[in-house]
Amino acid sequence: MQRSDYLIRRMFFALGTLVVVIVFNFFLFRILPGDPIKAIVRSPRLTREARERLRVDFGLDKPVFFDAERLTEGDVVGAFDTQFTAYVRALLHGNLGISFRSRRDVAEVLAERVWRTVVLVAGAETLALVFGMALGLASAWRRGTRLETTILLWALFSWGLPNFFLGIILLLLARGHLPVGGMVVPGLKPEAGLAYWADVGRHLILPTITMAIVYTSSYVLIMRSSVVEVLSEDYILTAKAKGLNTFQILRDHALKNAMLPMATMVALNLGYTVGGAIQVETVFSWPGIGRLMYDAVQLRDYPILQGTFLLLAVSVVVANLLADILYSVLDPRVKAE
Amino acid sequence: MKRFGFLVSLFVILGLLLSGCAAPTPAPTPVSEEPTPVPEEPTPVPEEPTPTEAPAEPVTLRVGSTTIWDAMNPATGWENYTLRYWFHDGLIEWAELTSFELGLAESWEVSDDGLVWTFKIREGVTFHDGTPADAEAVAWSLNFLMEGMIGPLELYVTGFEEVVALDPTTVQITLSEPTALMLTARLHYAWILPRSVWEGMTYDDIMEFEDPASVIGTGPYKLVEYVEDEYMIVEANEDYYRGKPVIDRIVIQEYATEDAVVQALLAGEVDVMWGVPNTAVQPLQEAENVEVVIMDSLNLADLVINSHVDGTQPESLNDPAVRLAMEYAIDKQEIIDVAYAGYGEIATSILPPAFGDWVNPDLVPVPFDLDEGNRILEEAGYLDSDGDGIREDADGNPLEYRLYAEDLATEARVLEIISDGLADIGISAPPTLWDGDALYDLLEPDWDFDMILWGWGWDPDPDFAVYCFTCDSIGDYLSDVGYCNEEYDALYAEQGMTMDEEARRELIWEAQAILFEDRPYINLHYQPGIQAWRSDRWTFTDFSGGDLLNKWSLVRDPQPVQ
Repeated sequence: MQRSDYLIRRMFFALGTLVVVIVFNFFLFRILPGDPIKAIVRSPRLTREARERLRVDFGLDKPVFFDAERLTEGDVVGAFDTQFTAYVRALLHGNLGISFRSRRDVAEVLAERVWRTVVLVAGAETLALVFGMALGLASAWRRGTRLETTILLWALFSWGLPNFFLGIILLLLARGHLPVGGMVVPGLKPEAGLAYWADVGRHLILPTITMAIVYTSSYVLIMRSSVVEVLSEDYILTAKAKGLNTFQILRDHALKNAMLPMATMVALNLGYTVGGAIQVETVFSWPGIGRLMYDAVQLRDYPILQGTFLLLAVSVVVANLLADILYSVLDPRVKAE
Repeated sequence: MKRFGFLVSLFVILGLLLSGCAAPTPAPTPVSEEPTPVPEEPTPVPEEPTPTEAPAEPVTLRVGSTTIWDAMNPATGWENYTLRYWFHDGLIEWAELTSFELGLAESWEVSDDGLVWTFKIREGVTFHDGTPADAEAVAWSLNFLMEGMIGPLELYVTGFEEVVALDPTTVQITLSEPTALMLTARLHYAWILPRSVWEGMTYDDIMEFEDPASVIGTGPYKLVEYVEDEYMIVEANEDYYRGKPVIDRIVIQEYATEDAVVQALLAGEVDVMWGVPNTAVQPLQEAENVEVVIMDSLNLADLVINSHVDGTQPESLNDPAVRLAMEYAIDKQEIIDVAYAGYGEIATSILPPAFGDWVNPDLVPVPFDLDEGNRILEEAGYLDSDGDGIREDADGNPLEYRLYAEDLATEARVLEIISDGLADIGISAPPTLWDGDALYDLLEPDWDFDMILWGWGWDPDPDFAVYCFTCDSIGDYLSDVGYCNEEYDALYAEQGMTMDEEARRELIWEAQAILFEDRPYINLHYQPGIQAWRSDRWTFTDFSGGDLLNKWSLVRDPQPVQ
């Protein structure tokens, strides 16, 4: 009973956030200086008529929010025939619009791109989790030793390393052994089977390692501090007194309790990483969501920007919701609050 | 206890390995389990290893670039005409940097009044889809462009009144008024598009037509595949009217950054780097098996001085004396040396030297001379009466200007040099960097700026460059300076109708002289086109097009090594 209350509250909150995001999303890009027609069509070859036709075509001839003039004339419906209502109406129909630049359907573009980012992020997260937990646990258990100092120093160092910088260094080091960028050798198709996937894998190595290194450090730090905290609890002492060996204590008592903050961290990270891959995708020319967003900002491609930001918002909100739910499962005290 | 300690140290070592060295052989990641063969030169078609008796491997040129284009469709894509030109031909072709050759037309005649142009069309040319590109097809296509269906190409049929096919090899174009631009600023981008693809489409259909069929033309290359943000593959058109191109296949791979392209070239993943940043020239020149070429271009880098009548610039900035003094105070060579690694040429006219005879030879370059700058301002009555180091005009307004540029590293350096120079003649112009698009917003309708660092890549005929300073160009969103001068406009109109080249040249020279006098721009420098290629794989010898991928030279010149 209590838990379902808690969940319902959380879901309403998530839904509310999304509505705010949808509205915010629209205005965010329109208060940016710069005219998309001018930004996209830098071509001096365009005649005045062609430019105006494009404006109509993109729906940019309409007022942004509402037409005050028509409202005073009593034309209430006409006053709201605006870019904003068109955007909301299309969104309710599940239509994310058409890219100003490539003229492709935004949903289609996103669908094509999103798995690439997911593969990259999932690989990096998995690596980071494994190494992060292991190193965190080790440094907590060997507190005060040279091992801990080494791990901590390295974690703090790599945590502070901008991932694009790290990426460039790795790229230089691996030049000639691994591809400089892209997702696959031009012309190779999924129909080629193993050869295709092997090539994609080769292209994935550097970006995955780059992201993993930076994530690892944050997991190390969190893992270490929570295990240190748990190890000072009385029940660990009890466990020791019961004669359990180190491995059992760590596995059955320390790790389980220390997993709480980790779970939250992972869930939150998953939400953010869809967007967090921008730098890595740019350094390694990985054609995912991050690079799409980067290009779209430069070109004022509103529909693509709205689409990617909506996707980001949804993933962050869903990840948060998951974290909340997970938390209530892992720690019964949460729902009581 | 012991066992666990061992495990931990194993992890630590693994982790350090991962972080420390960028591992040519990285720790196993979930995706790279299959032992992948690592070929020295990744060949684009790894499917069948060709045995000796199989047909020869296609000659493939691999190009690395930070951009391919925006959209395939010539109606919705505006970028990269070098590439688009591979697929499409005009009656006249833009061959070298500023020269033109006959394209689909074999010969031409013009009536005495300059209104009726008759073109003989090459026989036997076909589109990539096999349909004939005869006079009938040419006439249909030009009429299609005249309807405004392909926005970016409409400009190139300006003034066309009627186009008809007289017989299967003759097309007649009737103009509304005579033009001197027919052969150099019209037909080269009035591409002949196939009726089989475009007929019957409405404007809306065309705007949504993102299909490989949209690049069917008569050009030397056919599109095989284009994947946005990744790559483009084209293959030779065996039936190209100038003969089958040397290169069978061209692959353009898109990288997100210039640095990545440089690395790809050094690693041998690409053969040509399209657009080398000046800072990368030296490292590339020192690299093995890489050749760098510095080519003429039609680029101008300039300092725009707000000249719009309703602009918000201070009154003193409209004074030609102030503008001249500022030009004396700008160390153009320093700009080239510091911000452009020494590559570039000091500018005087709006037209770079590649324009040849069109460049007015009588313009006297303004040298870097702070004393002269100070003297001019002194003489014009701008004195520093309050001793704060900044001069004031007669009304006591200090010479303080807003100096803007786009927020790029190079631009920032240039702005510093300009600002320092101006400070030395008592003008305060602190540099401010802006988002590129925000800069455009400063133009129409408010003209709210004083000076902006900007540039142009001109069209091959000087007409376009000269047009960008007319009053009309303001309404066309083309002017970035707001300059408007009736005498100049008359000159522009006249040159466009002057059929005699000698006479037209005089007019173009005069236009340059007026601009040099009124100084809407301070012309800073001309940037060359810089490209690089792998000399162990290719030999390039013809750089006349200002671009290794220029259609005219590309189909003949590059030869694979061995």
